[in-house]
Amino acid sequence: MQKSRKIVILGHFGVGKTSLIRRFVSDSFSDNYKVTIGVHITKKVVELDADETVSLIIWDLEGTDEIQMIRDSYLLGTHGLVFVFDVSRPSTFQNINEDLKILASKTKGVPLMVVGNKIDLILLNELQTLLKANKIEANYLTSAKTGDSVNEMFTQLASLLND
Amino acid sequence: MTNLEQYKAQYVNQNIQFVVIDFDGVIVDSDQTFMDLNKGDYIYDVHPFFTSYSAMLESLDETITYNCVHIEFLEKEFITDVKMIKKDNGILMVIYDLTDHYISYQSIAQARNESIINSEFVILKNLELEERERFKNAFIRNFSHELRNPLTGIISITNVIEGTNLTSEQQQMVSFLKESNSNLRLLLDDIMSLSMISSGKLQLRDKVFNLYELLQLIEFTYRTKAAKKSFDFVLNYDKKVPEFVEGDRLRLFQIITNLLDNAFKFSEKGEVALTVKLNQKRANKVSIRFKVSDNGVGIPKEQIDSIFESFKQLESISKQQGSGLGLSIVKGLLELMDTSIRLESTVGQGSEFYFDLTLKFPLDLASKPILKNRSTDTGISQTHKGRKFKLLMVEDDERIQTVLFKALMDTNLFYIDLVNDGALVFEQVTNNDYDVILMDIDLPNIPGDHLTKLIRDFPFKNIKNIPIIGITANAFEEQINEYLSIGMNAVMTKPFDLQELVETVLKFLKK
Repeated sequence: MQKSRKIVILGHFGVGKTSLIRRFVSDSFSDNYKVTIGVHITKKVVELDADETVSLIIWDLEGTDEIQMIRDSYLLGTHGLVFVFDVSRPSTFQNINEDLKILASKTKGVPLMVVGNKIDLILLNELQTLLKANKIEANYLTSAKTGDSVNEMFTQLASLLND
Repeated sequence: MTNLEQYKAQYVNQNIQFVVIDFDGVIVDSDQTFMDLNKGDYIYDVHPFFTSYSAMLESLDETITYNCVHIEFLEKEFITDVKMIKKDNGILMVIYDLTDHYISYQSIAQARNESIINSEFVILKNLELEERERFKNAFIRNFSHELRNPLTGIISITNVIEGTNLTSEQQQMVSFLKESNSNLRLLLDDIMSLSMISSGKLQLRDKVFNLYELLQLIEFTYRTKAAKKSFDFVLNYDKKVPEFVEGDRLRLFQIITNLLDNAFKFSEKGEVALTVKLNQKRANKVSIRFKVSDNGVGIPKEQIDSIFESFKQLESISKQQGSGLGLSIVKGLLELMDTSIRLESTVGQGSEFYFDLTLKFPLDLASKPILKNRSTDTGISQTHKGRKFKLLMVEDDERIQTVLFKALMDTNLFYIDLVNDGALVFEQVTNNDYDVILMDIDLPNIPGDHLTKLIRDFPFKNIKNIPIIGITANAFEEQINEYLSIGMNAVMTKPFDLQELVETVLKFLKK
């Protein structure tokens, strides 16, 4: 069996989790919002070096505004987490630091990336202001629509988990 | 088999598949209920979800259930619950196909999430609009504040220059200057009114007043104006309209004069008429129709709705005199009075603007206000004949100092001390016996309103009770009320009329 790593993508509903994965896996995008229920799992083999690949098993979780409610079984055996918020909707990041604390207590020691998505919808200076005002330390700021930083984020995570 | 077992086989078992794998993930057995799996294949090659069997090996749990897992198999999607159970030789997987159930849940979640997201956007949009509106009003407020100070200087100095010996050419220039000043002041007042109306800061002040007197004042003013043009001004009023009514006299005056100014602006011949008619009287309420008609150019039908919008007005008649904001102010003020402006117009024949206003009127004639005798400056100076008053002027702007100084000295009634720093006022007040203080609000170190409070809290009557007249560029009503409430006797807003200022000072002089 090829070396595989399970990563779980989570966050509030409508932040673009499924779109980020679709951009990464099949380099496509759709503006139509289709709610994810439960979990969708996809696999993508990532080439880290000429002779080194890792197979990412990506769990796309149903969005929820209550992290506490995420089913424990979904998080079982997870190697990495991606918490996504929508920079254009304050409700998805207003309690982000609380949410991340709860998540950390559920997934002790699992590496986590914080990603602000939909950056195509707001101006750069507004973005900086809102990150500062809400004390958000985002690892990546992405746009699934334009593809901005999407591959970088997943590849970075893959190489982090490969070590 | 019994019937029940048959039914169970038919309706339940069809949706449950049993699969056994070994600890390496190789499929050992499968009942093939809805997925045909090959024995000997790796389960994780069927679908990436099944890689989670390895997590099962590391877990202490004997059973793990995964709910609502999407499994694509041979281009078909199943939405399943999967139970993994540790057995001696491997893992038993029980896969429940609950696709129909979950699809109905999906459509509910879809509708719910969409409506939440939409309402969030509506709220955000409103916040943004409110923020813009706030910014606009704050801008107008600051802007007019900043303009008032220099304008006061210009107006006052123009008045001073007018009183000196001038050649006829200089006189002509000064009168042109005065006209420009007064236009600028009117424009500023209009912008402020509009900003106050749209920010909801304008409050009506209802009092009993003499409507006939108000109409006579209007008649006099507009007859004079019309005489300079080639048309007539006519006032028609119904004697059944009560003489005394209760309402905001100032704002009613503003509405009528704005409508008349508008009619004058667009008339060249014929007449402009103000008609005041009784609609009905009931108990102590009266409904009155006010109508302004002209024989002017008229307004095309398609423009009727837009002429009350402030910026449309500015665009289309920018070449005309005045701010063009008059009709927007009329519309806003009438809305505050719970009524609305209506308009009938024919191009080339003229327009009729009218509104119905419901006002209270006192049934008891004894409640007529006692008309105060207006104190003229000659009256006052006679009362105080032979005495000079000590006045403290607290003002840091040199232009305003000069102008005030001159106007007050000209009356020959005052000894004047000048202080230009808030911190120096208290010492000055305690060491002198002033009859009145003229107090600017924006002062270095201690602002005038703060000083007023300190003076009013002073233990000695002769200081505590010194009349204080505030001077401010801040013309907002709520601000002025605040200054009055902390103990100022009167507040003059810049740009002020010097005559009015002197009269106010005399009115409040310490007896």
